[in-house]
Amino acid sequence: MFLKFFYTLKDVGVPVSPTAFLTLQKALHRGLITSLDDFYTCARAILVKSERYFDLYDQVFSHHFEGVPLPEDAGFEIDEMARGLLDEWLKNPKKVADALGVSEDQLKKMSPEDLIDYFKKRLKDQDGRHDGGNKWIGTGGTSPVGHSGFHPGGMRVGGESRNKSAVKVANERRYKDYSTKGPLTQAKIGEALKRLRHMIPDGPKDQINVDETIRETLRNGGEIELVFERAMKDRLKVILAIDNGGWSMDPYIRLVQTLFDYARSQFKEVKTYFFHNTIYDYLWEDPARYKKPKKVMDFSRLDPDTRLIVVGDASMAPYELMAHDGSIHITERSGRPSIEQLKFLTETFSHSVWLNPVSQSMWGYTHTIMAISKIFPMYELSLDGLEGAVSRLMEKT
Amino acid sequence: MTQAHDTRFKGAQTYVLDPELASIVNISMTLEMPLLLKGEPGTGKTMLAHAIAETLAMPLIILNVKSSMKLVEALYQYDTLTRLNDSRFGDSNRDVSNIDAYIKMGKIGQAFGADERTVLLIDEIDKADTDFQDDMLDVLDQMQFDIIETDRRVTAKNRPVIIITSNAKKDLSDPFLGRCNFHHIAFPEPKMMRKIIGVHFPGLDQKLAENAISAFYSLREIDGIEKKPATRELINWIRALDADPDFRAKDLVKGSMPFLGVLFKKSPDYERARGMTARRKMF
Repeated sequence: MFLKFFYTLKDVGVPVSPTAFLTLQKALHRGLITSLDDFYTCARAILVKSERYFDLYDQVFSHHFEGVPLPEDAGFEIDEMARGLLDEWLKNPKKVADALGVSEDQLKKMSPEDLIDYFKKRLKDQDGRHDGGNKWIGTGGTSPVGHSGFHPGGMRVGGESRNKSAVKVANERRYKDYSTKGPLTQAKIGEALKRLRHMIPDGPKDQINVDETIRETLRNGGEIELVFERAMKDRLKVILAIDNGGWSMDPYIRLVQTLFDYARSQFKEVKTYFFHNTIYDYLWEDPARYKKPKKVMDFSRLDPDTRLIVVGDASMAPYELMAHDGSIHITERSGRPSIEQLKFLTETFSHSVWLNPVSQSMWGYTHTIMAISKIFPMYELSLDGLEGAVSRLMEKT
Repeated sequence: MTQAHDTRFKGAQTYVLDPELASIVNISMTLEMPLLLKGEPGTGKTMLAHAIAETLAMPLIILNVKSSMKLVEALYQYDTLTRLNDSRFGDSNRDVSNIDAYIKMGKIGQAFGADERTVLLIDEIDKADTDFQDDMLDVLDQMQFDIIETDRRVTAKNRPVIIITSNAKKDLSDPFLGRCNFHHIAFPEPKMMRKIIGVHFPGLDQKLAENAISAFYSLREIDGIEKKPATRELINWIRALDADPDFRAKDLVKGSMPFLGVLFKKSPDYERARGMTARRKMF
């Protein structure tokens, strides 16, 4: 029974085991499960072993028992954006009408579903055209269709009331915060930290542990047995450069800092610097980017083994990146375009990554993201992205 | 204790039970599988075991896992030192030649040896290393272990109800997860929290409860707090507010937050929370 349900779970990537499935059968057989609600909770407790997959489970459950279509690949982000669009539509129909290029009257006639369909169609159109500069899907500016990010349980497409039947509960997707895809949130900090724990030293074991050596020698009946250990000084140094200018980064700054603060003890040192949009001649130690500038050129004197992690949305006007004196701050004038500075940094630090809170599926639409991702290995600021970034940082050169 | 003979778990006097969790607890008890609970600190993982033991009138045995713990410590201990002393001085009434007299049962051993069904709480399993977890699996699966010194096999007389909690500091191994049922306790929503507070303070002023809960949730929202205040802190806070004769419930709405130290235990958190509330007061 429920074989298809089981295999759908497996197909979407929930790690389910046959033993667990048999246990579920046992529970069914004993008559412990008498309703769909029971089935929802019990099957989840038995089959799904981590809250990370609760969201997927919810989706599969509503698909299987209610016929709610499973999201296609990358459907998640579109859902998020669609929800943002709907919110905006309710608040300010005119702006949305302008952005989508339809008249306000036309828009009024559309049902939410129509609107989403229309929006998705537009999105696909855009995929076909490679000019990449269509403002309304970028992250910057005041575009209404931006990356909406935090709407857990916000407005739902169906808009049903909170009724506690299992299918509807599943539809609410209460565990979205714990899922591995999607932007990093405060709730996921513990999980994210676990990813960082992989940043452990990999140096040679070249220090003698005297106590262990004596013990092992005794165990060996007097035959000398040396025990080596990794030196503590092999712990990593990390430079964290955060883009803290502009509202688009606001939700992530505190998050990233907290994350590395927690992990501080496992690194030798973590230095945090700030910049706006992109890096020119200076990085700043103070968040206001005013008091303590640090020359980027001086970074070449630092240990080249330092891991450089840049966090930023990499979205800006192309000239800010490419032109000489591109900075939007009048006081910041330098002979070198920012892109040269970025190249210099990656040459200085062989292990460097760029973490981008913008969803990966949207990168193609912003010119500067593409340009920077050619220089820095770029990862999405999500659990999966973080995992990729960490393994990249730990690669041997 | 009128429900002592009803073997289904329905919640206890001071524990507000989510119906979802109730059915998971009941199914794990019937399937005789350990139940693994994950969730933020302060969501009542440990309290659940206490509540089960209380309602079903079973003795509760708690194994507090420590990072350096070996599985054997949880099973039994062979008290060699006492035996050595006894053999030298010979002034005890134990039989020195009988090793069994010097075997002390650990928590798991006690649960196995008990004459009635017990609730065994294995608290914060993620503190121990993976070896501990994997070894424990076999013991829990077979419901028996061997005492090596005497070559005796201890088999559980009654399968205990096993509740395992984890704070998700480390990932648990896949085979371990395979043998447990799993539930993640989310932080209670305000509605649930009102019920919980109602259970703990039956005669509490409605206004105070309402204001304290909403203040509590807004304090939890402050970004960058290392240890967010949990249910336990809220209960203590309300107790403190209630005990203070000078305190008026409407002060909370105005933004004055007394006894923040009850909610925030780490000094940077405390500073930040105080800064935030002070700022709100000015507007």
